[in-house]
Amino acid sequence: MNAINGEKSIEKSIRRQYILLVVTLIFVMVTLILGTLLFRFYMSNFKTKQVSNEYDKYYVMITDNYKSDFWQAIYRGALEAAREEGIFVELLGQNISGEYSCEELMRIAIASRVDGIIVYANESDEMTELINEATEKEIPVVTLYNDNTRSSRMSFVGVGSYNIGREYGKQINNIVREKRRDSIESDRIGQRSPLKIAVLVNADAADTGQNIIISAIQDCLRQVNITDSEYNISTVTIDNTNAFSVEESIRDIFLMENVPDVILCLNELDTVCAYQAVVDFNKVGEVNILGYYDSDAIVNAVDRGVLYATVSIDTRQLGEYSVKALNDYYEYGNTSQYYSADITLISQDNVADFLNKEEGDE
Amino acid sequence: MNKFLNKPLQFKIISVCVFVNVLIFTVNLLLMLGMNAMAVEMEKVYEGNRALNEIAEAISDVQGSMTDYLSSKTSDSLEEYFISAQRLQDRAGNLDNRVTDHALTRMERNIRNMTGDYLDVVSRTIESKRGRNVEKYRKDYEEATQLYGFLNEYLRSLNQELFVSNSESYSIMARAFRRFEFISFIVMTLVMIGNVIIVTSFVRAMMLPLKKLSDSANEVAAGDFDVTLPEVSYQDEIGIVNNAFSKMLVSIKQYIQRLTESMEKERDMQEKELMMESHLKDAQLKYLRAQINPHFLFNTLNAGAQLAMMEGADRTYEYVQTVADFFRYNIKNQQTEVRIRDEVTLVDNYIQILNVRFSGDIGYEKQVDERLLDMVMPAMILQPIVENAVNHGIREMGSEGVITLRVYREDDNVCIGIGDNGKGISQENIRKILSGNWHNDENSYDNNGIGMDNVISRLRLFSGNEDVIDIKSAGQGKGAEVLIRIPFSRAAQ
Repeated sequence: MNAINGEKSIEKSIRRQYILLVVTLIFVMVTLILGTLLFRFYMSNFKTKQVSNEYDKYYVMITDNYKSDFWQAIYRGALEAAREEGIFVELLGQNISGEYSCEELMRIAIASRVDGIIVYANESDEMTELINEATEKEIPVVTLYNDNTRSSRMSFVGVGSYNIGREYGKQINNIVREKRRDSIESDRIGQRSPLKIAVLVNADAADTGQNIIISAIQDCLRQVNITDSEYNISTVTIDNTNAFSVEESIRDIFLMENVPDVILCLNELDTVCAYQAVVDFNKVGEVNILGYYDSDAIVNAVDRGVLYATVSIDTRQLGEYSVKALNDYYEYGNTSQYYSADITLISQDNVADFLNKEEGDE
Repeated sequence: MNKFLNKPLQFKIISVCVFVNVLIFTVNLLLMLGMNAMAVEMEKVYEGNRALNEIAEAISDVQGSMTDYLSSKTSDSLEEYFISAQRLQDRAGNLDNRVTDHALTRMERNIRNMTGDYLDVVSRTIESKRGRNVEKYRKDYEEATQLYGFLNEYLRSLNQELFVSNSESYSIMARAFRRFEFISFIVMTLVMIGNVIIVTSFVRAMMLPLKKLSDSANEVAAGDFDVTLPEVSYQDEIGIVNNAFSKMLVSIKQYIQRLTESMEKERDMQEKELMMESHLKDAQLKYLRAQINPHFLFNTLNAGAQLAMMEGADRTYEYVQTVADFFRYNIKNQQTEVRIRDEVTLVDNYIQILNVRFSGDIGYEKQVDERLLDMVMPAMILQPIVENAVNHGIREMGSEGVITLRVYREDDNVCIGIGDNGKGISQENIRKILSGNWHNDENSYDNNGIGMDNVISRLRLFSGNEDVIDIKSAGQGKGAEVLIRIPFSRAAQ
């Protein structure tokens, strides 16, 4: 009996040892395979990381300051429109250290043999030459926001400066009327002085857009029966030749004897600087600022009443049109000479809607 | 599996060792491959930067040689220009030409194209210089220099971007490397533990039958032959030893059985021999009896006794009466077992007769436990021993010889001791007597015919014990004692 039990137990324990052996063997194998797979997984993960979309065409967008919200917004619109077509748009200068002027960037773009150039142009001869050179090398050029009319540029994408001028004119009209009312109430009609309007003009601008805006304002005011004696438009040249001069120039305005009643800003940076200066010099309410562009800071300033009004430009549309113009060129060999993006005026009356919409967008 | 288990032990042990080593080797190989792959990736990380630096170097060479040529127009600088331009073209040709989401590839593409442009301008400059078109080559030179500046700037930016991205991938890589190290450590540890378990379990499985075998061997050594060994299913050395041991056990058992049988046979034969001897004695006795008519003898002795009484010879009467009793006991006693009392009486009578014969020379001392006298013992035992003691021990001593008879109880034995103070027996003779090899002349005249070996054999048969009789002698001249030990249980029957 004992012997039989012993026999059974010994067989059992031998079998147990063999089972343990097999299980361990499987375990070791599984460990090895798992380890290898894990490693493979990491390695492949590491390698496949760099795969990305490839595009057929390569356009560049050249601006004077790629960092500004305005240009970034336009760029986003352009990139979105281009991607759908299998095209990549690069905001040139973003990836290059060092500051470059539009002209230098043009040269780089031409040398890089890109498929299309969208450039924030000006009326300088150099720009004209460069645009012509690019066209010679069969690179289509679209001028964006600022035109170079004499060049062989294919198309101009901008905002209707005249329309902007009219919008500003309407706002100035409102300001003049408010002032009239104030004067009547205070019985000092005889003494009322003309409304001083200062239009901030960039120093380098042989810029037709600005002139058009000014004349549009004048036209508008004339139409609503405001006599020339009631207002006085002057241009204040803002030195934008070096990096920080804009801000200084705008502060200088407030240090003058005659601080203007209305300051008309025609770009984003001027608007922000003027707004800050008004706050710093404690002139809110005295100096009405008509701003430009609808960055968050600017819209908020309108909301708080620091800015009288601002003009919102459909930047996305600007971008889209630029790309569309270049695409049309490749598709049809030609395209419309002139694209105009929509503008909207943001004043105290509709700023709430605008803010809501933005929140909704987000 | 079974095929493997049937292989020799040596093969199995070597196989397991080799297997475990191969496993460790495999792990190491995998680790090494992994390390290698990692190292290759790591090497690649800054490859892009190196390539860019080479391009930058080549561009600066081109620019330098062009400037040299323009300023000195040496053939050396021209040659250098051609070489470096070729090198630049080759290197730039390796750059990525795709437009992707990655800024780096786009920059590469731009650098590639700009390099092409730059080389065109440079070659145009060189051509103009050769054609001595001063105005044109100056203008071209300026253009080339401007492009050179852009290119350098671009390269520097790309280099920096690349460096940032590479540093990032390097740190990812380093992290992956750490993780890899950790994984490898875990895998190695697990495999190591696995190996230990594999070897342990395998060796244990192999050794279990052997252990069982050694246990069985120990049991067998301790005298237990009823061990059954498990049948080992595979035929390695252990299996063979195991089976051989099983077979050996069976044959040992058979051998022991045969041995027992033959021993039993031998004992039977001994018994037969003894019986024959006793039959012979019986026959001799019957012969003697046949010769003497007991009734005639007793009547004669009785007449002698009456005569002695009538003549007033009391001692003669007593002597004749004792002789009559002595012979009556011898003749009438047909049983094999008698009471000790009868035997003691016989010895008394015998000594009395001898004392008459040898004129009272023999001293006789008796120490008897009366309670034991009703125990049984074989007949005709004490008288032959006393006879021997007298004949061989004290015959020549005259009146100094003393015979001592003791009956007493010792432990579980009834002890009967017959001693003398005679000449003693040598140890050799004691041994001979006890082993039955002592042969006296049985038919000597003064002998009632029953030898010591007969006495010893009968005693041993009666008690079933070899140690039933013992002879002690302190040496030459110091007497001897024959000691009979009958187990109490046997004597009480």
